[in-house]
Amino acid sequence: MNIDLLQKNLKEGLSIVGRASSKSSNLPILKNILMDSRNGFLGLSATDLEIGIKWSTLVKVEKEGGIAIPYNSLSSFINFLPNDKINLKEENSNLFIDCKEYKTQIRGVSVDDFPEIPSFSKEKSFIVNSNVLCDSLSQIIDIPSMSKVKPEISGILFSFNEDELKIVATDSYRLAEKKVKVKKEEDGDFSFIIPQRTAREIINIFKEEEKDITVIFGENQILFKVIMDDFDHSKIELTSKIIEGNYPNYESIIPGEYKTQVIINREDFLNKVKAGSVFASKINEVNLHISPEKGEVYLKSGNNDLGNYEAKIEGKSEGEEVKISFNYRFLLDGLTNMKSSEVIFEASNESAPGVLKPVGKSDYIYVVMPIKN
Amino acid sequence: MEKENLWKSALAQIQLDISEPNFKTWFKKTSISEIKDNKAIISVPSNFVKSWIKKKYHKKILKSLKNVNSNIEDIDYIILANNTDEKKEAIKVENNNHPQMEFQELSLDPETGLNPKYTFDNFVIGPFNELAHAAGFAVSDNPGFVYNPLFIYSKTGLGKTHLLQAIGNKINKNKEKKVLYIPAQKFISEIISAIRGNKMDDFKYKYKDIDVFIIDDIQFLSGKEKTQEEFFHTFNELYEKNKQIILSSDRHPKSISALTDRLRSRFEGGMIADIGCPDTETRAAILKAKAKEKGFSFPDNVYYYIADNVKKNIRELEGVLNKIIIQQQITKKNINIEDVKLIIKNINQISSSSLSFSKLIKTVSDFYDVNEKDITGKSRKREIVKSRQIIIYILRKNLNYSFPYIAKKIGGKDHTTIMYSFSKIENEVKKNNDIKEEISYIEESLTTT
Repeated sequence: MNIDLLQKNLKEGLSIVGRASSKSSNLPILKNILMDSRNGFLGLSATDLEIGIKWSTLVKVEKEGGIAIPYNSLSSFINFLPNDKINLKEENSNLFIDCKEYKTQIRGVSVDDFPEIPSFSKEKSFIVNSNVLCDSLSQIIDIPSMSKVKPEISGILFSFNEDELKIVATDSYRLAEKKVKVKKEEDGDFSFIIPQRTAREIINIFKEEEKDITVIFGENQILFKVIMDDFDHSKIELTSKIIEGNYPNYESIIPGEYKTQVIINREDFLNKVKAGSVFASKINEVNLHISPEKGEVYLKSGNNDLGNYEAKIEGKSEGEEVKISFNYRFLLDGLTNMKSSEVIFEASNESAPGVLKPVGKSDYIYVVMPIKN
Repeated sequence: MEKENLWKSALAQIQLDISEPNFKTWFKKTSISEIKDNKAIISVPSNFVKSWIKKKYHKKILKSLKNVNSNIEDIDYIILANNTDEKKEAIKVENNNHPQMEFQELSLDPETGLNPKYTFDNFVIGPFNELAHAAGFAVSDNPGFVYNPLFIYSKTGLGKTHLLQAIGNKINKNKEKKVLYIPAQKFISEIISAIRGNKMDDFKYKYKDIDVFIIDDIQFLSGKEKTQEEFFHTFNELYEKNKQIILSSDRHPKSISALTDRLRSRFEGGMIADIGCPDTETRAAILKAKAKEKGFSFPDNVYYYIADNVKKNIRELEGVLNKIIIQQQITKKNINIEDVKLIIKNINQISSSSLSFSKLIKTVSDFYDVNEKDITGKSRKREIVKSRQIIIYILRKNLNYSFPYIAKKIGGKDHTTIMYSFSKIENEVKKNNDIKEEISYIEESLTTT
């Protein structure tokens, strides 16, 4: 291998694939990244056997070839270099880096020892704008919690139904569903579950790219890729395993009706819940008292050691009177994940789930279970 | 067994040739899933492992396998993500004690709708539910052929759902039969959305291939004619194919109002078993079992005291038990009988204050399927008069209202009419078991909802 490229480019690539390089692994080879140059492109790839990332850029190739290099050393060294032309040359499992006054040699490993990111046959695919996907994922990403018992709900569900993509997350106390606009190629409904970590990396990697992401789904795997601006060649490919199993029938969790509804200013509600959190008991309990007859909504919290809190919230309410308690953190999560200036809160009774929805948009719903009295 | 041994000896050879980290990373969670036509199918946990093993170790594996079994000529790989030692069946230790509630739906098997926590093993049997249990057990051994349909009825919170789910779970275990458990409310909303979305065919298809159909709380079909019609078709189709049908309700099919006769006669065509109220000993046994399930244990006199004082239903018993457990967790000291007395006293105070006149009218008129307004009106129709008299009886008996006050409330009748009504029902309760059951059902639903 013998190639020339700009430091800025290499640095960008390293920061992206570095997300998949394994920090602690019983297999030392995974601490490396693979450099591979052919047909005028340089590809960098890394994997920890759960996800794999490949990044490609156009370079001047003098001689094709490849090498695996320890990620940490390479990446920290490249960061010190000026943004200038770098020459990378592989000889006898050594990488020679030449950039202005800097000359280095790093010991590498043969390409053959590096696990390749597996390819797989496509079953279904769709296209989604990266901003849309990343924003949507950010609204639900923090909800799942690791579960050994039910691995299915530790991930994020992607479910297609009649050309509508819904992404769903739950931790068994609350559940969020977000509708996402996509361009779909295949007909038919399908669904898959991606690990929470994969979703996080998608946000990290693709949020800067204002492009279309092609998502390809196949046997046990999923691939997210964007192509280069000027060439029909993929720029970033993120491959991940998917979680086996069936996602629970989550739709039955979303209440179809309500007995009490109130429309409130989101900022105001958020602020009053935050203030109430100071006084919340050990189990983070805050109590909402909605009485549509009087047109009043109160938020209360209290704890024996500190004292009590009560705030009146302005809002349009209708239906029956209800008193219902929640973990304030769950309320905050739901409220901060919505962007609208007003939100709808719905409830039926003190032991049925509460629902938060943005006003004016029907693409997000947050369902949360109360605290029993 | 042969496959396992073959793979073990092959792995023993491979292990000698490659480094330990490599061996651990790539051969963990692998196995031979089958041997077909001299070809060994090796199952691996992921695509990453598949492509790597294929590329790096294919020859080595083949050679090692041949050394053990010379018939093997080729290898293929499949991905089986769940062939791990952490089997999915590990049931979560329920922590019902934390007041933060969870989505129950997530514990359900998405295919059958069953909750694996309900089994025959944790179903407490007593004289009150012996018959229902025996019938259910027989059905689960031979679904479709012994009692079909099996109809189980009891008041709320006495273990209907537990029994139904236990039957389903037991049949589901051997995986040959397709079981579907559905609460009637959900069945109704599925029908409604199928009608609305013009997807009746999808709906019918879903129920076509079921071997065991379990539908809970069938009384909710009452008054819903279109749903009853669809249900009737589903029922017939399954019944004709000797598929097992299990139904539950909070009352005898005869007492379900607004149910078409043809459905009622179908329900009565098989076996009808009821679950009564558990006696004190069984209540105490249930408490003990529930406490054990949650990882707690209390002195026997605590169980007996609760069993003696909370007589209504098992759900209520569990509620009291949960309160005691929370109390113990907060105070961090062992609960004694005095604490329990106090807790139960507090609970009882709340429940007696929850009976209101308007709620009573609504409950009774729903139960007998009459118009609420007629009750306080002048109609002399038989079912309305009966509803009216029962309301009078409950008001007098439970709230000790005066006769003139009741007369005023019920629409300006004479107080002697009220006295007559009261004594009439009072007498009838002594003679007629049906009416006694109806009244206790009404009282039940007044305090539970």
